Amino acid sequence: MSVINFDFRNEVLSHNASLSYCYQCATCSGACPVALATAGKYNPRKIIELSILGLQDKLIEGVDVSVWLCSTCQTCVELCPQKVELTEIFTLIKNRSFEEGKIPEGFQLQGQSIVDNGVAIPYSKAIESRREKLGLPKVKTASVDEIKTILKETNFEKNILKVGK
Amino acid sequence: MAYDVFLGCVIPARLPYLEASARKVFTRLGIQLNDVEGFSCCPDPTGIEQIDHKTWLALGSRNLSLSKNQNGEIISFCSGCVETLKGVNYYVNKDSEALKEVNTILSKVGKKYDGKTKVKHFAEVLYENLDKVRDNVTRPLYGFKVAVHYGCHYLRPSEIIDWDDPFEPNTIDEIVKALGAESVDYEMKMECCGNPVEKTDKDLSLLLIENKLKSIQNAGANCVVVVCPACYQQFEFNQRELNKKNNTNYDIPIFYLSELSALAFGFKPDDIGLKFHRVRPNALFENTGFIKES
Amino acid sequence: MGENSKSVLIIGAGIAGIQAALDLGDMGIKVYLIEKNPCIGGRMSQLDKTFPTLDCSICILAPKLSECYRHPNITLYTLSEVQKVEGKIGNFTVEVLKHARYVKEDACTNCGDCAAICPVRGVKNYFDADLKTQAAIFIPFPAAVPPVYMIDKDACVNLNYGICGLCAQNCGAEAIDLTQKDSVLTIDNVSAIIVATGLDLDENIAPLSHYGYGIYQNVVTAMEFERLICASGPQAGHLKRISDGVDPKKIAFLQCIDSRTQRAQKYCSAICCMYTTKEAMVAFEHNDELESYVFYIDMRAGGKGFQNFLGRGKDEYNIKYIKSKIAKVNVDENESPIIVYEDLDSGEIKQMTVDIVVLATCIIPTLGLDKLANILDIELNEYRYVKTDPFFPVETSKEGIFTCGCAREPMDIPRSVAEASGAAARAAEVIRGG
Repeated sequence: MSVINFDFRNEVLSHNASLSYCYQCATCSGACPVALATAGKYNPRKIIELSILGLQDKLIEGVDVSVWLCSTCQTCVELCPQKVELTEIFTLIKNRSFEEGKIPEGFQLQGQSIVDNGVAIPYSKAIESRREKLGLPKVKTASVDEIKTILKETNFEKNILKVGK
Repeated sequence: MAYDVFLGCVIPARLPYLEASARKVFTRLGIQLNDVEGFSCCPDPTGIEQIDHKTWLALGSRNLSLSKNQNGEIISFCSGCVETLKGVNYYVNKDSEALKEVNTILSKVGKKYDGKTKVKHFAEVLYENLDKVRDNVTRPLYGFKVAVHYGCHYLRPSEIIDWDDPFEPNTIDEIVKALGAESVDYEMKMECCGNPVEKTDKDLSLLLIENKLKSIQNAGANCVVVVCPACYQQFEFNQRELNKKNNTNYDIPIFYLSELSALAFGFKPDDIGLKFHRVRPNALFENTGFIKES
Repeated sequence: MGENSKSVLIIGAGIAGIQAALDLGDMGIKVYLIEKNPCIGGRMSQLDKTFPTLDCSICILAPKLSECYRHPNITLYTLSEVQKVEGKIGNFTVEVLKHARYVKEDACTNCGDCAAICPVRGVKNYFDADLKTQAAIFIPFPAAVPPVYMIDKDACVNLNYGICGLCAQNCGAEAIDLTQKDSVLTIDNVSAIIVATGLDLDENIAPLSHYGYGIYQNVVTAMEFERLICASGPQAGHLKRISDGVDPKKIAFLQCIDSRTQRAQKYCSAICCMYTTKEAMVAFEHNDELESYVFYIDMRAGGKGFQNFLGRGKDEYNIKYIKSKIAKVNVDENESPIIVYEDLDSGEIKQMTVDIVVLATCIIPTLGLDKLANILDIELNEYRYVKTDPFFPVETSKEGIFTCGCAREPMDIPRSVAEASGAAARAAEVIRGG
């Protein structure tokens, strides 16, 4: 059963009013490389349609569409005749999913690494020696504690721990 | 001319040879790159921004606040980092509330961002110094038929990136030509490499890169140039993965724009760690007479 | 001064300007009809058929053209532009710049000997949407009014290099005058002015390269397609692909090209849904194996008989209407355009290869309307059309200056004609009293 969630719809609209300009012309879906490669399984127009309707469950659970398949190539954003900011709207939906602990594993791993290391990809011993051989300087990245302080402040750390729970 | 260099994660911690070529090229051009301590992950616009916009803004602003360059200009070798840093600037300058919120968070770590640090992609700087690039070419890349892959985040969203045409770009083509190579047009030139969907659907990501490789092969290109480490990995690492999975035999060397520049500037493949490439360019070098078999 | 010396000046001799001129002329009012092109008839004369009746366009128009030309109360100035206006309602003074034609209008017999001997070839013919070439001395189309040749001064070797002159030597009527100069005429005692400057098309200001226009030969605009299917057009009515001359089997018509978008023209171009259907019908009449696909956002058929017309398109002319806006066009190795679209019924993403793509490009105000508005001291609206009030649709912001047709917004022929009669009536009131 699909439940219309007006609060969700209003939240998207208040965050990005461009949602209301969509006239469902299908420029986005016709131009989307992922839509073409998946024969429409991923469909940016449908995500916007569901957002206008306020069908939060479908979007967060990804029943009919998976917002996570967006490659963020921004083709739709550049072409939309109504200047609907599609990727910004998708980002909002994905952010909401994150708050509910529902994100794909690949995203969780990257997030966890930043919590643990302050960077997405930590420096291995092998890479450090390769850098030396290539004559590259040693990189002094941010202090993990400092980054952690920020991640606590934004609830990022808490939400990452929630994923998959 | 001097910039603060923002390395990001993928290049320095996984593909340091790309960094080596870039540093050599900029030194040769007389453009100084200052290393700054304490940068974190940019963070990834296709990853962290997608799950937490606020964290992305805060970490990005923190990075931008570290630039102490007189000009307040940062250069990055990575399109993802450039998009993040330009994007963060875009949002905090568009919305003063967002900047305020960011600074409330940054105050916990004793930092503050004013929204003023400028950001450039390294290809942007090369293009702005095209004459200098041309003057430094000692070994023109004759016979290199290059398929230019711009990559999405080098161009779009154009409102944020504010550089080159989002669908009909020419900057990298011009640089490639200045190096003595030929830029080969191909049908899928403007399509996404597929890297960002790897986090969700590996097969889909392979399908997207296969479509590009097919189109590049059909167009008769003998190598590809990229300006983003995500695209680089997608083209290089997944080319081999694709061959394993589908029994194909794609063998198209993938160069970073800095590597092509370094080669044309006369650096030896060993100087820039070309041996770390998984798809070896040896055949290309021999066929074009760029390097005789040793 | 008596009523007989008072006149109305009409700018633009397309169907709207012509209708207004004939109405006023028939009322016994003196009319000056100013046209910047070498001949009158405007866009309508370029069309093959009209919707929704599929009447022959030139058959309806031609009698009006000659009537206009011969009317005792209408003075026609072609190749002419208004360059200065002074005065006010009831008594304007208008300065008209008349460009040299290099052919005497009262002497030319339209025999064509000049064009036959002219050594210059390959000059693009604007009337055929640049699809046909001609000599430097030409007549836009055989039935042009006035039936007089003219010289393209940029292409003529005599006017540029002082050589040749073959046309003058060869003209039995001694109609060629290579020494002709631009002249300025002053028309006094103009009681009212009607702005009937019509339209231009988006391809005149936008590259449209996204749709492959200008890159791929088989991507054409609707105006070009109109000429291609026209019996008097560059392919003499036998529709062929430009790239290889092959008869097309499948045509895609893409609607709303730069219309209804925040990125180009923000308004609906008003006539494309219908003329596209008409063009597909005419093409089908040339070849009844033809399939046409119309890709649209919303089908706008708001006119008498329009909905029926679409129904006939589907039922009798093999036209399929698909709700989906197309973002870009590629081609395959045979130069056949490929389009990708979402089938909104199934949500599937599909690819279609066709023989020709026709772009329904947006109507824009005629180029140069900004300048003319300055001269006339009238306001334009936010879309750069002549500004009018919904309840006074033919009145401009300046008293005594009226407007009609596509000068004020995109519209079809019947509406342009109705508005022209409206503007003529309002202009007549100025002279006769309301």
